[in-house]
Amino acid sequence: MTAWRTMGRSAFATAIVAALAWTHGAHAQDSTKTAPAPDAPAPAAPSPAATSATPVAEKVVLPPPSPLHERASHPLAAVPTDSKPTKTTRMCGVCHSDIRVKFDKGIHKSEEIGCISCHGGNPDAITIAEAHRGSGYRGRPRRADIPALCGSCHSDVARMRPYQLPSDQFALYRTSAHGLALARGTMNAAVCTDCHGVHEIRPADDPLSMVARHNVPTTCGRCHGGNGDPARPATPGSPLADYKAGIHGHALLVGNNNAAPECANCHGSHATAQPGARDVDKVCGQCHGKVRSFFMSSPHRGAVRRGGHSDCAVCHGNHKTTRIAATAFEKTCDSCHKPGTPEGAVAGRIQTMLADASAQIDRARERVSRAEKIPLYVEDYQARLEDARTALMEAAPATHTVDTTAVEPHTRRARSIAAEVSREVDEKLKGRWWRYVGLGLFWFYLILTAAILLRWRRRAIARSTSVR
Amino acid sequence: MSDAPRDTQTPPPDSRSWLERRVNLTEIASLLTVFGLLPAELDTRKPLREALGEALSQPMSYYERWPRLLGLLAFVLFLLLGATGILLAFYYQPTADAAYPSVVAIARDVSFGSLVHQVHAWASILFLFLLAFRVIRFFSIGLYGRGREIIWMVGVLAFVVATFTDLTGRLLPWDARGYWTTIRAREVIDALPLIGPIVTFLVGGKGLDSLILTRFYVLHIGGFPFVLLILFYLHFASIRRVGVPLPLDAAQKPRVGRALRIAGIDMILLVLLMLGVLLTFAIIVPIPFDVQADPFATPPNAHAPWYLLAPHAVLEAVPGLLPRFVRGLLLDGLLAGFLFLPFLDRSPGTGARNRAFLAAGLALLVIWVLLTWQGWFLEVSR
Amino acid sequence: MADETADQERRGFLKWLTAGFLALWAPAAGIMTASFLKPPEHGPRVGERMIRAGTLSSLAIGESRFVRHGLEPIFVVRLADQQVMAVSAVCTHMQCILHWNRDNSTFLCPCHDGVFDKTGNVLSGPPKKPLRQYSAEIRSDEIVVFT
Repeated sequence: MTAWRTMGRSAFATAIVAALAWTHGAHAQDSTKTAPAPDAPAPAAPSPAATSATPVAEKVVLPPPSPLHERASHPLAAVPTDSKPTKTTRMCGVCHSDIRVKFDKGIHKSEEIGCISCHGGNPDAITIAEAHRGSGYRGRPRRADIPALCGSCHSDVARMRPYQLPSDQFALYRTSAHGLALARGTMNAAVCTDCHGVHEIRPADDPLSMVARHNVPTTCGRCHGGNGDPARPATPGSPLADYKAGIHGHALLVGNNNAAPECANCHGSHATAQPGARDVDKVCGQCHGKVRSFFMSSPHRGAVRRGGHSDCAVCHGNHKTTRIAATAFEKTCDSCHKPGTPEGAVAGRIQTMLADASAQIDRARERVSRAEKIPLYVEDYQARLEDARTALMEAAPATHTVDTTAVEPHTRRARSIAAEVSREVDEKLKGRWWRYVGLGLFWFYLILTAAILLRWRRRAIARSTSVR
Repeated sequence: MSDAPRDTQTPPPDSRSWLERRVNLTEIASLLTVFGLLPAELDTRKPLREALGEALSQPMSYYERWPRLLGLLAFVLFLLLGATGILLAFYYQPTADAAYPSVVAIARDVSFGSLVHQVHAWASILFLFLLAFRVIRFFSIGLYGRGREIIWMVGVLAFVVATFTDLTGRLLPWDARGYWTTIRAREVIDALPLIGPIVTFLVGGKGLDSLILTRFYVLHIGGFPFVLLILFYLHFASIRRVGVPLPLDAAQKPRVGRALRIAGIDMILLVLLMLGVLLTFAIIVPIPFDVQADPFATPPNAHAPWYLLAPHAVLEAVPGLLPRFVRGLLLDGLLAGFLFLPFLDRSPGTGARNRAFLAAGLALLVIWVLLTWQGWFLEVSR
Repeated sequence: MADETADQERRGFLKWLTAGFLALWAPAAGIMTASFLKPPEHGPRVGERMIRAGTLSSLAIGESRFVRHGLEPIFVVRLADQQVMAVSAVCTHMQCILHWNRDNSTFLCPCHDGVFDKTGNVLSGPPKKPLRQYSAEIRSDEIVVFT
């Protein structure tokens, strides 16, 4: 009952505004029934004391359910938590029109979260002074308060349930590098609005959202852009540029491959942190599981445990992840194992195996495409070349064992299939010699015929002159 | 034929063969003379052997000069294209889905299929060049004077219709090169007033799909070759009426005419040589196969065929100079002017023509070659 | 005199030789044309030889299934629980396509009333030869016929 009356009243207040600022006509008729005083102030937020006094009633009454007693201990206790629909920016948008435009593009607008949900104030007032007063007006929230402010709704399990949204972001954030820095008093540590936008907050699956997968690198890069940014001297290196130059960044941003990881896939989203040196293989192993299992069986694993090297990144880089070409194998290993050493020799052997197989495949492919242009029947060869390529691709994860016996079966298979294809296509190409024989035979006949004709011609001339 | 009933009662031995007594072979053989393969008239009342001997003994001065054989060679090529084309049509399927596989099957699986296909392709190239060269030759020595208007117009039209035949043939394999060449060529042709709409009407629209491929096919194997055949017939019919022109220096240096028999042998020798060259090209430098056409993937360097590069350059170069429509009109006018040249250049005589026209024509040729180069440059080395 | 006739003979022989030589062009062109026109044979590829004839479980015992394949359709008959048989659906008499007679498990030819039993043997009518049989296999509930 209380809820119904509250709603009616708020609707009536809205109706007054509608007359002035062409909003909400529909509720006006209902509201006349309750007919409160026309100058009734906008329903004030129930004071913390009042709400905590009636927690049971609040639980029963839906739709504005929230564990308000918990909120009372928040720094946000003053934020209005009434149930009235804050569908629009209402009067706030008259002065703050630039913000209204941004806000209208966001998700909160359609979920009836309005200006006062974060800023307080009186959205129906028609003077500036009145608008910026009362009902817990707080103006621009302090940076340090923002995570809790957002968390006041987003940590509410019941409230997030209909959206199937998680409600642990605030808790996660507090454990994150960002959250810890903020707690330490580093005021420029990222808060919710730095990544999700301030007023124009779009859902993550909106392609225009700052946290859409392909926008994440740019969003993170605003702070972690790299060297030379005086505002962020603590960020080492140039992670954004490196990421874009790496294979992951290229796949995501240029190749539109949505399976490629962005920053958060390795560093976490709300619980952002740098993976520890010993955890790099786990992070990479999320996607490269087979590679990781090969790596774990290799002697490198033990070395990592002992020496604390960051495993995958030593060879593949961290932000600028690179695939190591078959021909660059030895060079990469060189950085730790010098060429003369037995370990360096293993690297050389693996490189030779990979490079041989890859060269053999290239040679076979060149022959097949030459045959195809003639055209000869090459479908079978193409299928077998695909097998060879698959075998070579299987060799790549196996190299992480740094065990030549693990790599060799794959490269040998790739090499032998490709060599077989090369040989067979070569035979087919050479088998066309008879065309030239045929052509020679044709010319032989042609020249003989021409000789006979020339003889006849000579005789005809001789006869005609003798007649004359 | 008329003296057949007399055979029954006259005892004199009949020298004619069994077949000859039933069919007038001479009349059949005179088909050769109709299409100029034998530049003489056969007396159809006489037996074949006798009539041929008579015709071959006539002195012929004009076939001694090789360039005069251009038309004959072109006609032989036309026959060869027809023969290989009929063979290819045994396997070709004119639908967008089946065309490419069927052409691949011809070239790959059928015995001598690749040879027939390549000979057809190379012969079409040679055919066009011969016809173009013939028009240039006619012009340069002024072979379009009084009495020769039809020969000239037929020569020009034959080249134009041959380019259409070539163009429709390029699409048929439905490979990437042919498909996009056709698209780029349509772009040029559609820009020509009058000609564009007619061509669009003939091929049934501006898109390229199975229905239009079928139209291209019918036009390629039936429509345009039939027109060409009529043009060739007209040419030889007109030649028989007005006679073959004498050499330019005929007045100064009268030449002893040799018997047609000798000229005929020369002809056969030249045709043999041409066949040899054609076959050699088809085997040693085969035109490579392209991938199947994908309407959603334009290959780089897709460009109009060589004979449309100059019009393309005219239509594209310096856009601000003249509206596109006016340029199209200009090209139409050029073609019309060229076609009706005998009526524009009324200077007397059949030999050397008006020098101004000669100079203009040669200048036009140079400009055309430059524009072709320009069109090539616009398209290929972009 | 004798010399002259010999010379004439020689000339005649040479004439025939050259004529014969020149005439070789015609059979050469003829052979080429004929071999071009001979339809190319490509042995059926492995994939084409293997026909997937539907699931076993959807075919009741004693029932048959008509399988469209190329110009020679096939009947698959389930003889027992795990036994299937594939016979050609083309009558051996005049190449009409047979019908399955469910009532007495026979194949009936609509053209001349030839009747075959379900294993392809002739029961009555003009056909002399039994139906061609194909090997059929059951691979995890799928019937596969090999041609």
